[in-house]
Amino acid sequence: MLEVLTNPNRFFEARMKGEESLRIPVFIVLISGIIGSISAFLSSSIMMEAMTKTLPPEAQGFMSFMPIGTAIGAVIASFIIWLIIAAIFFGISSIFKGEGKFKRTLEFVGYGYIPTIIGGLISAVLVYNFVTTVQIPTITDPTKIKEIITPLMKSPMMLLSSAIGMLFMLWSANIWVFGLKHARNLSTKNALITVAIPVAAYILFSVYQMVVM
Amino acid sequence: MRQTLPLFLFFLVIFAIAFAIPGVSAYDGVSGLGTEEQESSIMIAGYQVSPEVLMRNDIGTVTVTVKNMESAKSVNIKDARMLSRDIKVLCDSYFNIGRLGPGESLNLTFTIKAICPDGIYYMKILVAGEDAQNIRYSIPVTVDSSSLTIGVKDIPEDIFKGERARIELAVGNPRQNTATAVKIATEEPEVIPSEVFIGTLSPDETKVASFNFTPQTRGVHILNFELEFKNGDNYHSTDLSVPLNVTESKKSAELILTGIEVESMPAAMNVYKITGDINNAGLKEAKSVVMKVSDAEGIEAMHPYKAYFVGLLSPDDFSSFELNVKVCENETQVPLVIEYKDEDGNMFSKTEYISIERHQGTTSSGELPVSMIVVLIVIAIAVIGLIAYSWKKR
Repeated sequence: MLEVLTNPNRFFEARMKGEESLRIPVFIVLISGIIGSISAFLSSSIMMEAMTKTLPPEAQGFMSFMPIGTAIGAVIASFIIWLIIAAIFFGISSIFKGEGKFKRTLEFVGYGYIPTIIGGLISAVLVYNFVTTVQIPTITDPTKIKEIITPLMKSPMMLLSSAIGMLFMLWSANIWVFGLKHARNLSTKNALITVAIPVAAYILFSVYQMVVM
Repeated sequence: MRQTLPLFLFFLVIFAIAFAIPGVSAYDGVSGLGTEEQESSIMIAGYQVSPEVLMRNDIGTVTVTVKNMESAKSVNIKDARMLSRDIKVLCDSYFNIGRLGPGESLNLTFTIKAICPDGIYYMKILVAGEDAQNIRYSIPVTVDSSSLTIGVKDIPEDIFKGERARIELAVGNPRQNTATAVKIATEEPEVIPSEVFIGTLSPDETKVASFNFTPQTRGVHILNFELEFKNGDNYHSTDLSVPLNVTESKKSAELILTGIEVESMPAAMNVYKITGDINNAGLKEAKSVVMKVSDAEGIEAMHPYKAYFVGLLSPDDFSSFELNVKVCENETQVPLVIEYKDEDGNMFSKTEYISIERHQGTTSSGELPVSMIVVLIVIAIAVIGLIAYSWKKR
């Protein structure tokens, strides 16, 4: 399994000889989703704590479910995003006359989630460190939510977490290049282009969020 | 008998006339009897000097009451003059005053200025009437330049910095007349009230005015008070300087900060958490102790601890505190203000400066720890290395 991290080309070449199986990729995506949900849970806890006083008392009980809801949502979202990424790669690779089943693409994209597990763990540690040390201001004026939450989300620790997330995304992209090369029978160059377009778009959007917003 | 009766009647008439004509003014004793029968009688019925006793260079008035003593005849007053060599008469004499009915009186007022040394001076009033005696009358005017006195009645033996001291000043009137609009004023910023109005001060009367002095610095303070009063319409003043030595109280509360720690807050840029202990090393309680960040350029107190209420701090006791402050890049010190009250409710304030050190633990931005950057670089190298390795192996 570790070969997918060190030599993805040979790993996928070998996997091509077997039947398509989503059992392991589903497990990988699930683990990735659970780890991502930890960060989401912690982040939403901060927001909930800050916004508690903006809500009427009867709504505050409902707010306590927000972090749990966010965590569950993060797990579900990881599967949805998996499908979307695989669909995008499948679509772009079709332009380069890619061949192969969607299920194989989905399987290989799932293996690419392994680096995000490591990245998610590091981010979760950073976010936990941030949440336990931050002085969370109490928001009493709902119009000032953005004004107060934005500096929190743009704190150095959170930015570092995002930067690490992008690094591991690059690592996943590298795995996806070799995955698509075999799953869609593409040249290395075409596989690189197929992966680079959505990943570059995602990274540029993330950098824009970090710097401008 | 027929010859003696007319002679008897003649003497009777003469005798009756002699008694019917009133005596001339006591101030004109030189007039003969024949003249008294023809000239009317007027007299100075009274006078008033205001103020009763003048001070040198005071302006006052002398009011003279001229009365027609005739019971059935009016008198034409021609003129009235006030004369004096020592006291200056500021107004003109009265001319052609007019007729004064029988038994009527008239007040004539003269403005005077006491340009002479202290003493008693006799001003001459001359009143001339038509078909009446001329009157000369002397009016005594007293000039006494003795001022009201002001002195310290009571003052604490020791005056301590930041503690309120009560100063009592006594104002006395050694003059023969009443002084009005008496007040004591001071421009000292540390003395309240700035003015005490006493009002009227009768002769030989004393009144006391109290001031509170709360010095903010040690050393010799000279408090200047000005006593103002009116003598008639004339303002006068006397100054009083009170030198006081202000020392540090030996028994007061003494608050000192220890164990100060300044920690960068990861949540926001340039926001620091200042924690430490506040100790009372004095011998008295410090009440309502509040710590806050002073208003200064580039310094801004932040929630949740813009200020920290410590409350009562007994002698030899201490309390922890926490403050949050945003400090601009170019600021290196944060002024912390410690406010507390003594048992009398006097407010004390003390400012301590805390240094903000942007040391190795932080980057040039002052927030991101260097160790975190190292982690990021290591991860980046590892990821890039693995990607490069995977491409090399393909």
